[in-house]
Amino acid sequence: MNASVIDTTAKGAVETEGRDGRGEDDGTIGRSVKRQDLLEKATGHAKFAGDIVLPGMLHGKIKRSDVAHARIRRIDTSKALALPGVKAVLTHENVPRVLHYGSPHPRSASVTRDQYIFDNKVRYWGEGIAAVAAISEEIAEEALDLIEVEYEELPAVFTLDEATAADAPQVHDRGPGGNQVIDPIRVSRGDVDSGFAEADLILEGEFEFGRPTACYMEPNICVSQWDGNDKLTMWSSTQTAFMVRGILAEVLGVPLNRVRVLVDHMGGGFGAKQDLFQHEFLCALLARETRRPVRMEFSRKETFLGGRSRHPGTMYLKQGFRRDGTITARQARITLNTGAYGSHGPGVTTVGTTALTSLYRCNNVDLEGRCIYTNTPIAGAFRGYGVVQVYYGLDIQLDEAAEALGMDPVELKLRNAVREGDLAPSGHPIIGHGLEDCLRRGAEEVNWGPVRQATRNQDGVYRRGWGVGCEMHGSSAYPGIKEQGNATVKMNEDGTVTLLTGAAGLGTGAHTALAQIVAEELGVAFEDVSVVHGDTDIVPWDIGAFASHTTFMVGRAAQQAAADIRQQLLAQAALRLERDAADLAVRRGRIVAVDGSGSSLSVREAVSPTPGIPAAHLIANGTYTPTKSYSFAAHFVEVEVDTETGQIRVLQVVPVHEFGKVIHPVAAAGQIEGGIQQGIGHTLSEDYVVDTSNGRSLNAGFVDYKMPLAMDMPPIRTIMLETAPDPGGPFGAKGIGEDPIIAIGPAIANAVYDAIGVRFHCYPITPERVINALAGTD
Amino acid sequence: MKRMITVTINGEEQELAVEPYRSLLDTLRVEAGLTGSKKGCNVGDCGACTVILDGRPVNSCLVLAAEVDNCDVRTIEGLQHAPDRVHALQDNFMQYGAAQCGFCTPGILIMGKALLDENPDPTEDEIRFALAGNICRCTGYTKIIEAIRHTARQLAEERQGVES
Repeated sequence: MNASVIDTTAKGAVETEGRDGRGEDDGTIGRSVKRQDLLEKATGHAKFAGDIVLPGMLHGKIKRSDVAHARIRRIDTSKALALPGVKAVLTHENVPRVLHYGSPHPRSASVTRDQYIFDNKVRYWGEGIAAVAAISEEIAEEALDLIEVEYEELPAVFTLDEATAADAPQVHDRGPGGNQVIDPIRVSRGDVDSGFAEADLILEGEFEFGRPTACYMEPNICVSQWDGNDKLTMWSSTQTAFMVRGILAEVLGVPLNRVRVLVDHMGGGFGAKQDLFQHEFLCALLARETRRPVRMEFSRKETFLGGRSRHPGTMYLKQGFRRDGTITARQARITLNTGAYGSHGPGVTTVGTTALTSLYRCNNVDLEGRCIYTNTPIAGAFRGYGVVQVYYGLDIQLDEAAEALGMDPVELKLRNAVREGDLAPSGHPIIGHGLEDCLRRGAEEVNWGPVRQATRNQDGVYRRGWGVGCEMHGSSAYPGIKEQGNATVKMNEDGTVTLLTGAAGLGTGAHTALAQIVAEELGVAFEDVSVVHGDTDIVPWDIGAFASHTTFMVGRAAQQAAADIRQQLLAQAALRLERDAADLAVRRGRIVAVDGSGSSLSVREAVSPTPGIPAAHLIANGTYTPTKSYSFAAHFVEVEVDTETGQIRVLQVVPVHEFGKVIHPVAAAGQIEGGIQQGIGHTLSEDYVVDTSNGRSLNAGFVDYKMPLAMDMPPIRTIMLETAPDPGGPFGAKGIGEDPIIAIGPAIANAVYDAIGVRFHCYPITPERVINALAGTD
Repeated sequence: MKRMITVTINGEEQELAVEPYRSLLDTLRVEAGLTGSKKGCNVGDCGACTVILDGRPVNSCLVLAAEVDNCDVRTIEGLQHAPDRVHALQDNFMQYGAAQCGFCTPGILIMGKALLDENPDPTEDEIRFALAGNICRCTGYTKIIEAIRHTARQLAEERQGVES
């Protein structure tokens, strides 16, 4: 195996062994260069949308419903408007009534037009029904209490069972019926009946998924201002600035060049900040009505009520196995609860359902995914996008099969691992053997056989177990969305370089990776490349930062633009050196002859003005329309279960990831470590709970919604492989962002089984569930 | 009815007119123009607003501005030694990649500073305990803890260098 193992623990030092034979000084790819955003973040000077202060700025607040399903019979804002300091009040009676998408992806078949800014109906407890702008937050809050609302309550559905029952009340008057957002997604291949007939072992299971939420640290926030020419400028914490611009323009009825969306730094998103939210419309409308800047910031509670969670749901999974472990058939019925609006529900359902065609090879599949409305908060996009749920069940069932067949789980997973030439969920052939490489490397790293043996026959209060979980994830949303990455690269007359990108900076370090790619392609120092982003009036169009595609897709576009600049630069140098451009190359900031002959020039000298030659103006665009590439991972986990309290502690995690090419090892490892933190939370403690008797949110805050914090997090020993580079990615690189959150869940569940012999087909595996299960089995 | 307070912020004495209900966090952000301290929850759960008040770390969202009359406050903007010279913690957060989105970072850096002031040689468990009230959702804390441990070692070496 041609693996290069990358040390990510010490200041970005990289083991260069096996890495193309390049020394530390050659190039910037694969080096943990100093991220360009961290100095301002570490000194408190980084500007987030909430830090914008404008003269005369008003504060907007949203009134939220305290019923789950109702028609608004009457809404009276007169007392609120009369309160001194209140400048405007909006309700469904005075906002534009335009049916719009929540999930703003153009060119996507899987979005649903089912939202109004405000409707005359309420579909979940906590939905916004009115908005106020006032001179202070306190006055705005006070005004909300003065708005009188009379509801005609309607029967509601809170669970999937209620929503899919015959004669269930309907959340929307649209869709194919039965509270379905869209027609069921069906995927079939081969013949499952004959596949099951061939099987020596058939396993069936029902799985149940909780409702974790992204819990980005920066609450949703935007600031709006209309200028004298009737143009809107909005600062917003969004992953999809151009999508926000598009929907805002459509709903406000103005052309795109009269809406400018700005986002400099954003305090996390994890996929959940790629909808257009109610407050973004309301902020723009309140600013237009008052002719003053308006700021609207969610409280932490509102990030739960008005934000987007992962889709809760259920899955029935049945698989057939031959005695040698080969999978003969796979059948699944997935039902996802999208809450009161479609948002990303159709996309999540499609991606999750089709993901079950892969990971472990199977020629006979019959899959069905359904997406169901309920009167609960909205589920949307979130890191792992439907794949988290289905691979949790799939991987646990592989573990069960291994035991039933008397095989080691690593052996069974290796036997079935998707590999070179197999068809991926997107329909593309898989490149390389990433999954097998991850499994083998991890098993070797943790000494898998012996550590598993050591967990046999435990009888103490604390019992330990080891588990392994696997995943694969695509970079880009193809084929669901035909995406496009764009980049503009300019070279300044002193030889420095400016990259313009529409890709949002969620905090992943993507902009630094893009600058590295440009520097490498151009042959200049990383420090000479700066990045401009986050202004829809200036940077090239971008679909948004999601689907693990920024470094992969925009990176490739930036590489193309940089290659173009290099040609322009060589043409300039050829003039000055009086040589043929084809004989020249850029090496470490100098233009030299390929054959080493003659004189050389610095990049600066090649573009600076000289007598008789004006400064060069070099500019180039790159556009890349990707299909898909897949990254792989196997996570190895050790847990300890307290059989008296039911508490599960994760003792250590060894994640092994295959990314094709690692651009910035420390940033890549940071993605893995953070994804594992969220995955541990989802698997063991995080669940946004809705009261199924009245739809109320029960834990919309950081005390009751329990995330793993510093004291809960185990040591993580990250290993990154570059064994299956993708020819479509820049320098072979593939996506990273979503992968780490997927494999950790089943790895933990399998380790818990190894420790206490109890199978959990649900997450989160709370202490209560452990205690109840142990009581039932002891 | 606003009242006047005198408070030393990052070494500079200031007089501020504050509403009696206004938090120290909002006062720093709005009145003093120091937006480095962040509002992640406004109820003391997340630690993004941590500042050092008379030598002790506090959630500035839970302190009323009126309470800090004649007090000393240090915020993230006051952590660096000079505009061109950052604190060792800041340098190591950059080197180790201990910040991603950067929203929790000011609070965590301030908590790290408060920890090292009180306990110059913390164990890993002591660092984790000190950060128990600071939520980071991006990093898994791995690199934050590495950065703080390395800073402690570095500062210890500097102190030894001075002594010898």
